[in-house]
Amino acid sequence: MPEVRIVAKNFMDMVAALPAMKLDKLYSSTFICEAVLRSLPPLAKKYVLQMLFVDSPVTAKSMEEWLLADGYSKHKVAIDRLLQLRIFLEVNDRKKETSYKMNTKFQSNMQKYLVFGGTLPREPMPLSVTVRLPTLEDLEVYALEQWECFLLQLINSAQAERSTSFSSSMMRVFQRGLLSARENGAPKLTENGFQFLLMDTNAQLWYIIREYISSSEDRGVDPTDLISFLLELSFHTLGEAYNLNTLTDVQKHAIKDLADLGLIKLQQGRKESWFIPTKLATNLSVSLSDSSSRKEGFVVVETNFRMYAYSSSKLHCEILRLFSRIEYQLPNLIVGAITKESLYNAFENGITAEQIISFLQQNVHPRVATKTPVIPENVTDQIRLWETDRNRVEIIPSHLYEDFPSKEIFEAVCDFAREIGGLLWEDSKKMRLIVRGEYHQHMRDFLRHQK
Amino acid sequence: MAFQDTQKRGIGPGLDSNSHSRKENRLTPRLTPLPLPLPQSFLRLSPAMNSAPSKLYSDDVSLVVVLLDTNPFFWAAGAGGGNTSPHHPAATLPFAKFLNHVIPFLNSVLLLNQLNQVVLIATGVNSCGYIYDSAGGGSHGGNVPAVCSEILRRLEEFVAKDRRLGKGPDRVVVGGVSSLLSGSLSLALCYIQRVFRSGALHPQPRILCLQASPDGPEQYVAVMNAIFSAQRSMVPIDSCVIGVQHSAFLQQASYITGGVYLKPQQLDGLFQYLAAVFATDLQSRNFLQLPKPAGVDFRASCFCHKKTIDMGYVCSVCLSIFCKHHKKCSTCGSEFNQSPPDASATSDRKRKVSEV
Repeated sequence: MPEVRIVAKNFMDMVAALPAMKLDKLYSSTFICEAVLRSLPPLAKKYVLQMLFVDSPVTAKSMEEWLLADGYSKHKVAIDRLLQLRIFLEVNDRKKETSYKMNTKFQSNMQKYLVFGGTLPREPMPLSVTVRLPTLEDLEVYALEQWECFLLQLINSAQAERSTSFSSSMMRVFQRGLLSARENGAPKLTENGFQFLLMDTNAQLWYIIREYISSSEDRGVDPTDLISFLLELSFHTLGEAYNLNTLTDVQKHAIKDLADLGLIKLQQGRKESWFIPTKLATNLSVSLSDSSSRKEGFVVVETNFRMYAYSSSKLHCEILRLFSRIEYQLPNLIVGAITKESLYNAFENGITAEQIISFLQQNVHPRVATKTPVIPENVTDQIRLWETDRNRVEIIPSHLYEDFPSKEIFEAVCDFAREIGGLLWEDSKKMRLIVRGEYHQHMRDFLRHQK
Repeated sequence: MAFQDTQKRGIGPGLDSNSHSRKENRLTPRLTPLPLPLPQSFLRLSPAMNSAPSKLYSDDVSLVVVLLDTNPFFWAAGAGGGNTSPHHPAATLPFAKFLNHVIPFLNSVLLLNQLNQVVLIATGVNSCGYIYDSAGGGSHGGNVPAVCSEILRRLEEFVAKDRRLGKGPDRVVVGGVSSLLSGSLSLALCYIQRVFRSGALHPQPRILCLQASPDGPEQYVAVMNAIFSAQRSMVPIDSCVIGVQHSAFLQQASYITGGVYLKPQQLDGLFQYLAAVFATDLQSRNFLQLPKPAGVDFRASCFCHKKTIDMGYVCSVCLSIFCKHHKKCSTCGSEFNQSPPDASATSDRKRKVSEV
């Protein structure tokens, strides 16, 4: 799923796009250094570690000597990333040789981290104040519920049981790019929207957060503050309570929205109120392209095109409805069929067969996951066939040439057209031929030459 | 030819003693003197298996099992044991300093990816034991002082227990002062097997041996078995040798499993070696120049007296290695009914092997 990576990159792109001053300011926090480091490609991480205790600049040439022959493109990506994020700084000496030096703030923070360890961003509240905290299971259920509710509202506002407190303008910002508004009726999901639904929770979260941050300037909030707060949040301990009074005004404002997304749970005591980070928040700094946080699958597809989804989630039902006919729904089971009509519907919405197949493959029930292929071959083949059905007619702009004065000229023109690879059809009896439109100029020149 | 052979066997008793010709050698087990090392083909390794191909995971999540040599005979040698030279590695790098390099290294592996996991196993003289597992304790979050003190506490306990075991009445008198590398390798592999079975998604495992004491030839068979099982499960064994001599075991281990073997020159910069070479995840290794072994010592230990030998006898049935001629293979029980062949036969056989 390359899309996940693009989204993931985009978030760090946003960090990289910050002005140098602000970026350097961000690096004064160890958490941000850590989160940024974890988001790097593996090779870049390795370079950082290798250069961590090197004070003098290292020339680009000597770094290239670390590489094998086919590693150069990866090396380039890694170095570009490091430069963009200002972890490595370019130094040009008198001989005009490029060298790289590590950002001193970043370097000293990471050195300290390795030797002395990190500290917690803020102290959790004592149990005597908070008395009863939700268990980790409760918290996870809460987080997922909140997140699904948000997603459901995002793709289909009518279906959501309760709405989140996001204003409709905020919601529209999130929907931008995922839904395309239609003049009459409900907005429909775009291709990007379907891909978004296919991503794992973490990638979806980053996408939403990216939108949230990029729209923050309109609300008069500095994106830098939000970025650093979000990255910091991911280093809080799961399930501990933290006092709301330790937050700045901007953070206090943001935290309400984050609670709506399920990143944190807000609770109120007699005197004070506090927030409890959920798994969604603490997983934020997990390497962004990482797929290991993926949930267990739930779909079983049979060779008779019937599909059983062991899920009680309305969201799953909505996703499946995009490309299958839902037949009935039991408390923990959705039964549907993949039919020609349902697939045509999906194709019409810009969803491709490959996307559907990869969605099914990624969400197979663990019982089926051990089999190969996980989705019966006849089903995947049929899905692909139905897609190609729609593409049976190919339209090529072309020109028809007729009324040739003699057989010889006709043959010569045919040969010429065949030679340049533009001949589509010929009828030697009636002396007519059709040639691709882009070769018309060549054909004209050739014909003129014949006369 | 094969047809003829079966014909002859079918006749059975018709074979007279004179027909114990060279043709017949294939049918009866015999002990063959062979120059060691055995060619790779002889050890049933296809060329493709020489270095373990790494599985393609989508990410760089790694599980690093570090085997820490706690051999007191080695580390005490640097602590002013009178007759040791100041060039002894333990003199420039006492155990405490050594740990000061290793613990930040463990920490840096954990830093690189939240899902990375580190396991520390101590290799003692009489026993081995798990010291630290980053997945086990809840005290994550880079709390180095806590982790550090835990590691120190567990190490002290381990060393004390290891010493007690050595004093027991059933003490195995080992020839030298080598550590139980085979034991800790097996522990590491067991741990990795458990991780493999834990679910579909698991980190990419690798083993790093921080070896100080010399090889114990008596562990040859056990170490080789561990190496081959690591190769089968595609777990690279990295080795960082801190001791005086090169370690033939670890050279072979890294060579066969596709790991990195390195004997650092400057021990006071150990962390840099660890960070630059051994912290590299398996995915990035495909793109980087890593230290290559100058030569690998393939010599084997004989199964009978546990001596490292250049030239020995190899059982034609199970490939067991002996330093002297035996009547019967101690491993598979095949009887060798032949006297040791003369020198000309040896050279003949040698040529045959090289043709294989």
